[in-house]
This record gives sequence, C-alpha cells and structure tokens, in this order.
Amino acid sequence: MKQLKVIIFLIFATLTLNAAASSAPAETKEHKEGELDLKEVIFEHLSDRYGWEVPFCHGRTIHLPIIVWGHDGLHVFSSKRVLPVHEGHETVYPVYTDSNTQFTIAQDGPKKGKVVEIVDGKEVPVKDFSITKNVLAIWISVIVVLVMALSVRRFHKRNGMKAPRKGVGAIEALIVFIYDGVIKSTLGAKAKKFAPYLLTVFFFIFVSNLLGLMVVFPGGANLTGNIAITLTLAVMTFIVTNLFGTKHYWKDIFWPDVPLWLKFPLPIMPLIEIFGIFTKPAALTVRLFANMMGGHMIVIVLTLLIFIFAQMGAGVAAGTSVISVLFSLFMLLIDVLVSFIQAYVFTMLSTIFISLAQEEGHKHEEKKADDAEAHQIAQEVVAEAVKAAN
Amino acid sequence: MELFKLDFGLTFWMFIAFAILFLILWKKGWPAIINQIDARADLIDKGVEYAQNAKTQLDNARAEAEQQMAEARRQQADILREADRMKSQIIEEARQAAQKAAQKEMDQAKVAIEQARKEAEQNLRDEVSAFALDIAGKVVRNQMADDKAQARLVDQLLDEMASKN
Repeated sequence: MKQLKVIIFLIFATLTLNAAASSAPAETKEHKEGELDLKEVIFEHLSDRYGWEVPFCHGRTIHLPIIVWGHDGLHVFSSKRVLPVHEGHETVYPVYTDSNTQFTIAQDGPKKGKVVEIVDGKEVPVKDFSITKNVLAIWISVIVVLVMALSVRRFHKRNGMKAPRKGVGAIEALIVFIYDGVIKSTLGAKAKKFAPYLLTVFFFIFVSNLLGLMVVFPGGANLTGNIAITLTLAVMTFIVTNLFGTKHYWKDIFWPDVPLWLKFPLPIMPLIEIFGIFTKPAALTVRLFANMMGGHMIVIVLTLLIFIFAQMGAGVAAGTSVISVLFSLFMLLIDVLVSFIQAYVFTMLSTIFISLAQEEGHKHEEKKADDAEAHQIAQEVVAEAVKAAN
Repeated sequence: MELFKLDFGLTFWMFIAFAILFLILWKKGWPAIINQIDARADLIDKGVEYAQNAKTQLDNARAEAEQQMAEARRQQADILREADRMKSQIIEEARQAAQKAAQKEMDQAKVAIEQARKEAEQNLRDEVSAFALDIAGKVVRNQMADDKAQARLVDQLLDEMASKN
C-alpha cells in the first residue's frame, strides 16, 4: 500500500513537472498534421460507421455493404469502394460509379461521413439502408438473444420439469427475475399478455449493452448509446401502451377527475395529460441513450488521456497509462453494472407505463400503489442520474 | 451534434430486426418458457404441499401409535392389577372357605366331643349310680352291724371314688 502511494506520488510529480515544461509549446502544436484530434476520435468511436475494425489489427477494416436508394433506384456495393483512404498526410475520398450513378462519402455539410450521390457535380442525399456497424450489431444482438431464449426453451423441451443448471440456468434465472419481479408484480393478471414484448426489450437492451462494452469485433458498437435505437424501443413501448390502453385510461386523459374549470372551457389538464403521453417515451429514449453513451465516452476519454499526456514525455505517458487503464477498468466494471441497471430500468418503466394504461374503473387503492411505485422508481432514477453525473 | 441526429436507415433496420426478434420469441420463446417455469413452480409447490401433508400424516400416525401403545400399556397395567386383585380375592375367598370348613369341622368336633363328654358323663353317672347302688347295697348290708362301721364304709367308698376320678 505504502509503495503504491509512493509510485502514484512520483507519477504525479513527473506529470506536473513535465506539464509545466511543455504546456507552452503544446498549445502552438495543436493543429499540426498528425496531431490527435480528440473530438474526432471520440465521435468516430461513438457514432455509426460503414466498416468495422478487424480485432487487434489497427487500420484494417471489415467492409460492410452499402445499400442506398438513389434517384434511379437501388444500389448495393461494398463500402470498400467509397471509404476514405489515408495516403500519407492526405485523406482521399474515392468516388464510386455504379451503373452510371456516382457515389462518395460527404466530407462536409449536414451529411458528413455519410454516403451521398453526385448529380451534376453536386452532392445529393440518398435514402441510406446500409448494413452499417450498428445495423450489424443489432443483428448480432438479435442472434445472441435468440440463442439465449431458445436454449432455455430447448432445455425445457428436452428435460421436462427438470430445472436447468449453469448457463441456461442463469438465463432462466434472469427471465424469472424480470418476469416475477417486474412484469408479474406490476401487471398482475395481464402479465402474460405483455411479457413477450417486455422480456424481448429487456434481453435486447441487456445483450446490446454488454456487447457494446466488448472492445473488439462482435462487440464495441455503441448501439444503445445511439438515439435511433433507444427512440425505436421507446416508440414501441409507446405503441404498446396506447394500443392496449383501456377506456378508463383514455377517459383519464381527455376528461380527468379534476374540477371542471381545469378542463372546460380551457382544456388545461387534458393538454398536460396529452403532453404526458409523449414525455414518457422521450424520457425512456434519453435515459438509456445518455447513460450508455456517457459510459462509452468516459472510457474513451480516459484512454485518450494516455495520448494527450504522451506528448509530454515517456515518463508521463507511462504514468498516465497506468492510471488511465486502472480508471478505464473501473469505469468498464461500473458500465457492466449500468448495462444491467439500464436494461432493468427501461423494462420496469415500460411495464409501469403499460400498467398505467391498463387501469379499469375507479380503483383508487390500486392507483395509490402505482403512484408509490412510480415515486420509488423516480427516486431510483434520480439516484442513477446523480451517479452518472459523478 | 451528430450524435443526436436520427439516422433513418438505422431506425429502419432496428425496427425490422426488433420486430423479427419479437415475433420469433413471441411465437416460439417466451410464452412457452414462462408456462414451463410456472408449471414447474406449481409442481414444486404441490410437491412441498404433498410432503407437508405426508409429514403431518406421519406425525399423526406416530402420535396415534404412541397413544395406542400408551393405551395398551395402561390396559396391560389394569389387567395385571385386576389379576392381582382377583388373585388376592381368590386366596382370601379360599382362606375364608377353608376357615369356614375348619370352623365347621371344629364345630362338628366340638359337638362330637360334647356328645362324647355327655356320653362319658352319662356313663360316669351310670357308673356312679351303679357304684352308689353297690355302696348302698353294702351299706345296707353293713347297717345292721355297726353304725360307726357303716359311716366309715361310706367315707371309705367316697374316698375311693374321689381318688378314682
């Protein structure tokens, strides 16, 4: 322990000394060629791409197919044809001609980094259905979830009433944990009706989160930290909630139990309630997106610290490496926990939103219980946010 | 910010992939798994209930058996006590009967003795009267000779009688 303290002290000492010595020239060097553009690196890792890096081979890419709908119909070609090539200090953006239509990757503008069509020398946006890194990651998650769920099913079929052990047992335990702990306890008799959707959501998010934490090929995609994914999931919860909403639910929205002046002639409460319908999926979208993206970003930034401090000398780089790796490891471990918690919270909130739309008649007792539950969840979420902020 | 832009293609694929995943698991996965888990839970519940019932029954049976044993022991003790009582009663009765019989015997003996004594008395009396007659005869015979001799004779005879008895 004492030794560790001494080492850390030495590292910080060299670090501050070197920083003082080199801070002035570092500023002037900032935008030179070959310099690290931190923002670029971070966003490159967080956002979607047309290729996937081969594990442990930096610079080599798995080229994924590009599928676009241009002005003259469908075009399918490998992203190898258009992905920018680094030649020395220059970056070349190749133009690919597919049956008289030219495609390239936009260098600037709103479509930066995306495939565009060149019409009369101008870059025109196209409908892009490419199998990007994230799309492939979705399919990998889907396959993993399918394998997990169907392995439990197969075990049941083969072994009758016997309880599974080891891996299959763990998956089953997770299913029971979510089904009994969240779905059944909230939805009661209607649990079986909504369980397939909610379990699918939980396992998809859980698997995607964990795969996202893996650094190399089958993982590493920032899937649940992409707003398109979380929004799609939230919209599906929104659809399920409102499609299966009871009469009482709709009555509570358009004609709630409040004094008359609050709903007529000015529909204040109905407006708030209608607004509430849409804030729920928005909250779901942003919570998952922000948590997962934040986790990825922190780990990347901690890793990048090594490259930032590397400019100050070998000693600093070595010291920072040790600290960065330790911190990254710590953050990744927390992210494993967050992966589960976020999947759990998304499922739980979806369950509660669905159950709120399943109310029948004037069951004030039930409503109170729901309120208490919602309150508890709100507290949990706040605690989560505080933790994430820290 | 690039991160906050919604990518159309990604949304499209996400929807398709999730829909396929959901449909497969809805038809082939979750309901069957949940039913199986529920069925197993029921089976375990029933098993536990059955075991509890069996244990209760076993306990009851054991208690009953113990009760019966105790009852049997009690009965045994009762029977033994009864036998003991009867034994002493029989002995008592026998003794009483024996006593009665002995008494009877004794009474008979007494009666016989009494009779014998009476007979002996009678005999004695007969003999005494015979002696008296004898003596009276001798007295009568000696009367004529001497009064004094007569009296002496009577005394002598009486002394003889007294020494005889």
